[in-house]
Amino acid sequence: MKLSLSWMKDFVNIPEDMDLKKLAYDLTMSTVEVEDVEFLARRFDHMVVGVIEKIEPHPNADKLRVCKVDIGNGEIKDIVCGGINLEEGMRVAVSCPGAVVRWHGEGEPVVIKNSKLRGVESFGMICASDEIGLGDLFPASQEAEILDLSDFDVPAGTPLADALDMNDVLLEIDNKSMTNRPDLWGHYGIAREIAALYNLELKAIKPFETDVQSDFKVEILNPDRCRRYIGVEMSGVEVKPSPYQMQSRIWKVGMRPINALVDITNYVMLATGNPTHAFDADNITDHIVVRHAAEGEKLVLLNEKEIDLNPDDLVITDSEGPVALAGVMGGAKDSILPKTTRVILEVANFEAAGIRRAALRYDTRTEASSRYEKSIDPDRCDQALALSMQYFQELYPELQVTGYCDQYVKKLENSEIDVDLTWLEKRLGKHLTDEEIRGCLERLGFQVEMNGASMHVTAPSWRSTGDISIKDDVMEEVARMYGYDNFQATAFTTAFTGAINQKDKSLIRNIKEYLAVRCGLQEIYTYPWMNDVYVNAVLQSTEGVLKLSTPPAPDLSCIRSSLLPNLCEAVAKNERYFNDFSIFEEAQVFFDKNYSSPYDSTESLPEQRRHIGAAFASSVKDVSGLFRETKGVLEYMPRYTHMEAFTFRKEEKPLWADHVVWLNIYLGEEKVGDMGLMAKKVSMECGIKNLSVMLFELDATKLKPLKSRTNKFAHLAEYPETDYDISMLFDSGAVWNDIYDAIVGQKKASALLKDASFVDEYRGKQIPKGKKSVTIRLTIGSDEKTLTSQEIESAANQVMKKLGKKMGAELRTQ
Amino acid sequence: MKDKINGILSEVKTKISEAANENELQNVKSAYIGKQGSLSLLMKELPSLDAALRPEMGKLLNQAKNQVTELIDAKRMELKLKASEVSPDFDCSVPGTLPPGGGLHPITQMCYDLNDAFRSMGFEIFEEDEITSEMYAFDKLNFPQNHPARESMDTYWIEGHDSGSTNEKLCLRPHLTGGSVRYMQTHKPPYRFVYPGRVYRNETTDSHHERAFFQYEALIVDKDITFTSGKVMIKSILSKVFGTDVPVRMRSGFFPFVEPGFEIDMECQVCGGKGCSVCKHVGWIEVMPGGSPHPNVLRAAGLDPDEYTGFYVNIGLDRLVMMRYGVDDVRLFHSADLRFLKQFR
Repeated sequence: MKLSLSWMKDFVNIPEDMDLKKLAYDLTMSTVEVEDVEFLARRFDHMVVGVIEKIEPHPNADKLRVCKVDIGNGEIKDIVCGGINLEEGMRVAVSCPGAVVRWHGEGEPVVIKNSKLRGVESFGMICASDEIGLGDLFPASQEAEILDLSDFDVPAGTPLADALDMNDVLLEIDNKSMTNRPDLWGHYGIAREIAALYNLELKAIKPFETDVQSDFKVEILNPDRCRRYIGVEMSGVEVKPSPYQMQSRIWKVGMRPINALVDITNYVMLATGNPTHAFDADNITDHIVVRHAAEGEKLVLLNEKEIDLNPDDLVITDSEGPVALAGVMGGAKDSILPKTTRVILEVANFEAAGIRRAALRYDTRTEASSRYEKSIDPDRCDQALALSMQYFQELYPELQVTGYCDQYVKKLENSEIDVDLTWLEKRLGKHLTDEEIRGCLERLGFQVEMNGASMHVTAPSWRSTGDISIKDDVMEEVARMYGYDNFQATAFTTAFTGAINQKDKSLIRNIKEYLAVRCGLQEIYTYPWMNDVYVNAVLQSTEGVLKLSTPPAPDLSCIRSSLLPNLCEAVAKNERYFNDFSIFEEAQVFFDKNYSSPYDSTESLPEQRRHIGAAFASSVKDVSGLFRETKGVLEYMPRYTHMEAFTFRKEEKPLWADHVVWLNIYLGEEKVGDMGLMAKKVSMECGIKNLSVMLFELDATKLKPLKSRTNKFAHLAEYPETDYDISMLFDSGAVWNDIYDAIVGQKKASALLKDASFVDEYRGKQIPKGKKSVTIRLTIGSDEKTLTSQEIESAANQVMKKLGKKMGAELRTQ
Repeated sequence: MKDKINGILSEVKTKISEAANENELQNVKSAYIGKQGSLSLLMKELPSLDAALRPEMGKLLNQAKNQVTELIDAKRMELKLKASEVSPDFDCSVPGTLPPGGGLHPITQMCYDLNDAFRSMGFEIFEEDEITSEMYAFDKLNFPQNHPARESMDTYWIEGHDSGSTNEKLCLRPHLTGGSVRYMQTHKPPYRFVYPGRVYRNETTDSHHERAFFQYEALIVDKDITFTSGKVMIKSILSKVFGTDVPVRMRSGFFPFVEPGFEIDMECQVCGGKGCSVCKHVGWIEVMPGGSPHPNVLRAAGLDPDEYTGFYVNIGLDRLVMMRYGVDDVRLFHSADLRFLKQFR
């Protein structure tokens, strides 16, 4: 919402020397956010009123003319101009060098310089209204029409801002910051707040009084939706332009002047915050009735839209049917028309929620509905009526009030609240005297009765629409008026009963830090929705997958039940820049099953779990390297992140995995995840070109953190241990698990054997077909003595013998 | 002969001490105790000596030879310890090799930093599920049935759960605060916890608007807390993020779930409060809403608002991280683009 400072001065005596930056700051700190303070005249810097002395043809262009323009101080300048309505003696707006304009009202702002136009020197520019931002205030009737300021009786050289009364300051208020304060939606409301902030005098609006007697009447059939309706029937009006000050003020705050009758209603709304409407009285048959719409009724709105009314709609009707959608928009047929000479002015109060429903139902949010839907107090009608009538009488001296009816069917009760003063002091964290508290509240229009340990507070009508209803609201009023800056930060005290120990939270963090810091994976974030391409490629089914009603895009409706589709998308996207990388994501996944009500029995929430997924992608590593890297990250994860260890099994191949390279991850007898190589077909469907991709996904919800670190201490070996490598030929299908088992399984191949580990395996040259060579590192030692080389070799020989016997392994001779 | 030996000895000592490298030392060795070395030659003269002198001279010669050998060995060791393993033209300016290049997402990093700060003040960390009912997203937070925020926070509703009463309608949570009510319902006061998490709004995206973004909520509920305690929480967050004490101000703001409510601004870190294009020339940047939980919210959580009160802040981490590092497009956070993510360590 924009506010004009000069307009607010109609209602409050703001001192001339008021620091406007401070005003904006104070309003921002205590009431509403002032987003901008604009000195309006700056838009018209270097612009003056010029008088065209003489018009001559342009020597080189038919459409251009050269004007000799008096720009004040006796200076006559040549200005080249293409305007079609130029006349000698005309007052025009001249942009001198330095002024900022927009060519033809479009595009970027341009700074005017002296220039040559088709060979003729031109000093600045004679402007059309839209070139200097005044298109809405002075609409041009045709193209290339110059702004004619002949009606403004000012001498040549008068700064344009002075001539057009633009020496004003505009405050731009963030609407979001006052959705809870319907009383502030208008110049009067903010003026009232400024008066309270600075203890200034708020000027009273003289109430409208009439003693007209007639049979004009208004009926309200649904008082729940309309607390008050004032109708004023008048004759002696006509459609004509409103006075310049009214037009310019309407324009300054962002609306468009139309004609005097419409302008008065808009002006009063902008001034008081209470919308008003005017009907053509000749079109209203019988009298006005405010009621719910009947089934089947229709109405053509002012914006030409025909709507089928809903019985929930509140409408203004005459005996022929609806003439307006109450509080939202008038009807096209019965509002102000070009020939209007008699009007019925509506100053009314409608119930907020109903207005909101109607505006939404017909997608018609208007200046009026957006104010009504915030809940206006019905007493404000008095101000709106008084101001309206003041302007009607000023603009139409012949005006006669022929009918008046104020139906005030449901008064609003003022909020009354008792506030315990000890409570107040505790919450404020500061002692304020009774007088300080009273002062803060009374300036805002509250009535305060101090009763010793408590006070009884009565909110003014304009704060009783829901805004002030509990003692906390009163506390806020005291605090903001006292000034939030005047409260010091105070430390909070709470007894510590023990160290915070959240194992589950720590485990997820440990895993993420392990992956990122120790294993070199980069964490990524992706959206919770998945692209259909990756869903089809990776999950291959949408069964049990939840979907969004209104997804960001049609192919993004599935929300994730697995992290892998989005990881695959991320791999595909990064392939362009990287050929060897690993990424992981930790996020929530959702399943359309196992609904439960952990917090409220009436609620039913789907199954939601936390997963950790990772992708290892490389076009430079071979599959076995990539596999061992991935498996290594998983194998060492429990050890480094302090959780119960998991095991690998081959039970059920993940749909996305290669036929050979995959494993299921088990914690005890429960499956907690999968790992595997992405199948070629899946890769291709994901648009991954050259990368081999290993994936894993763990259900972090199922992982079990250990209560404490479980490192084990073993005495340092007293006698040296020796590593002894052996290479043996095995059948190509032999697996390490069996080899290991044969060496150090239930029965150790040698009593001196401490451990065995895999070094590498090799197939190829020098190895017979159907065989592979496996290099095994044996750790050999004794707790009793240092072994001789014969003893070491004999232990190794025992291992080789056992491998030969159990697995048919032969010593590699070549 | 004795003189000769002593002459040679003193000569060889000088030579050894002058030898600058292994090569020169080798030359000295062969010049004196090699086959044709001067001491070896003297040895050959022994048989021609008077027999009575022979044993003494022989002994002297052997001693001299041993002494030279020892000196040479000592010198060799000395040279060896002095020398570098590499040639003197070794280039120390070549860059180091990169350790494995992983990292946490910049928002996770910030979130963990904040968790550490709050834990040190005795706060728990709370996490909640992302799909919630409208009842917890709005009703329990004192949003009236027709409150505009129910629409303005354009919510992602779940298909098949997008109509009916508010306990039946499910959505991706539009903010975290509803989850805080769940915490309060299931724990005993006093509370102090932080609640990091991702929230979702159905919006058109651009460089400053995202559909998914990170919030960080902190809530303290106890008896006898004043809203001014909130300043301590706010300062903890900002000083952790920016590494210095950042001036903050609390000003009047309205949110249905707090009373009183605040908009909390921090001094613009780009211009230091002087005013620049980033802060729209006001010197302050709006960073978070805050306030005391509304009595109705406390009631929804099963607490007596006459007894308990508290303070709440909810900060947008994306925006803070953007400000901290000068990131100019919020969409980068969910881009999974490693060129972006690898910049944050």
